[in-house]
Amino acid sequence: MSSFHDQVIQILPKLRVQALSLTRNRSAAEDLVQDAVCNALAAQDSFIPGTNFSAWMHRILRNRFISDLRKRRDTTDIEDVPASSFASNATHEDSLALKDLSLALSRLPSDQREALVMVVVQGMSYEALAEATGCAVGTAKSRVFRARRQLEAWMTGELPANDKLRVKVAALRSMLDDRRRKGIKTDDLYSL
Amino acid sequence: MSGGKDGAPEKPRPKSASPESDSPFDIWLKRGLHQLFDDVANEPIPEELLRLIEEDRDDRTS
Repeated sequence: MSSFHDQVIQILPKLRVQALSLTRNRSAAEDLVQDAVCNALAAQDSFIPGTNFSAWMHRILRNRFISDLRKRRDTTDIEDVPASSFASNATHEDSLALKDLSLALSRLPSDQREALVMVVVQGMSYEALAEATGCAVGTAKSRVFRARRQLEAWMTGELPANDKLRVKVAALRSMLDDRRRKGIKTDDLYSL
Repeated sequence: MSGGKDGAPEKPRPKSASPESDSPFDIWLKRGLHQLFDDVANEPIPEELLRLIEEDRDDRTS
């Protein structure tokens, strides 16, 4: 069985992908991975050998991201991070569709973006995603489903081309969907 | 029952319960996400980070 430190090294590539999906910025992602590793090393005695190391490590990174976000919220607007930060090199940036995808991804809520990337890029099961993000399996599925549906709506042009407007329309549609699921009448928008 | 012979269209398959989906959009999305995220996973790990981990390993074993 690998040692604790070997397991940390082995999971670093996956942590980097998770960190980039959360921060949308390569430099911030590197910092987040380093901070999460420091937290994990400090807390290694709390890890029970033989339990799910991957989920434990992903949760540490996620908690660190949320904690940092709360600290920064007063002074920085994370939504201002440029969407192009996802794009990794000039060749990729030449692809208009990829740029659009990058922009659309940046508009998703971070938990949906993280869920989508961990399932689609990392090949995680919904069960593993739920354990790694500390939520119910149903919530994990819902995050991935909503992310896919939202991206498809944006990318296939079902929403207005104007970026600000389509974000607003998407938010409205999402709210309407929520209300339908909860059985609230959709013509009662101002009763919230 | 399943169709598909003599050019007849195949019946749409029920949606898979697995995270993977094979709709054209999902195939495109998967390819795009890999293009955006694979590089970061394949980049070399910064020396500083590896040193941090190895130093902790040494501290624990000494």
